[in-house]
Amino acid sequence: MEDILSRYNYDSFVPEKFEPWINFEASPKTGTIAPDFPLWHLDQTPARLGEIWSQHDYTIVEFGSFT
Amino acid sequence: MNAIADKYAGQNIGSIFLYTHEAHPGENVPHLTSMEQKFRHARDLRDILGVTRPILVDALDGACHRAYGSMPNMTWIFARSGLIVYKSDWTDAHSAENAIQYFSQIPARRRAGERLAPFHVERLDYRNQERERFYKHLERNGQKAVDEFREAFPKG
Repeated sequence: MEDILSRYNYDSFVPEKFEPWINFEASPKTGTIAPDFPLWHLDQTPARLGEIWSQHDYTIVEFGSFT
Repeated sequence: MNAIADKYAGQNIGSIFLYTHEAHPGENVPHLTSMEQKFRHARDLRDILGVTRPILVDALDGACHRAYGSMPNMTWIFARSGLIVYKSDWTDAHSAENAIQYFSQIPARRRAGERLAPFHVERLDYRNQERERFYKHLERNGQKAVDEFREAFPKG
């Protein structure tokens, strides 16, 4: 577990560290049911992605970070 | 993307930002080592970069992000049932709005009696690279982030 935490949260933007994670081609297909995952609100209360998308007809989810 | 969220909120369209990992860590915004730090960076996204949409935070190991392909700034659209209706390996407001304009009409078309069946489309969209803005963003992360990006993408 420690290994994946440090590799996923790489400390430098160098190809050998960021390229292994780029895997859009193998991501879930349109027309299929999305996988659900636990998430957290900013106040650290738990949530689920499935809870989020079930609240509206459609939900736009942008993935990203400060950097 | 904030503007699109506001524009379509009244049409039963939700919009969130899902916090992943630091794509370009630098001296000022280092890589993540704890959930406490991840929440802090996510709050900075709201307070400093002005993201007004609800921000949800992924697990420290990026379980959700990795399952969806781990692109640094991608956008997905889900129907209420969880059906994936749009996936884009990059976030572009024009592309996302074009898609949501289309999807937002589906419930009304169904209520009007249309019998709608899904089909697949592949399309190549285009985005403005906004290099100057991107490099300013990297500078905010720290010189290390600038140098590493230039090294990885010399023509970038």
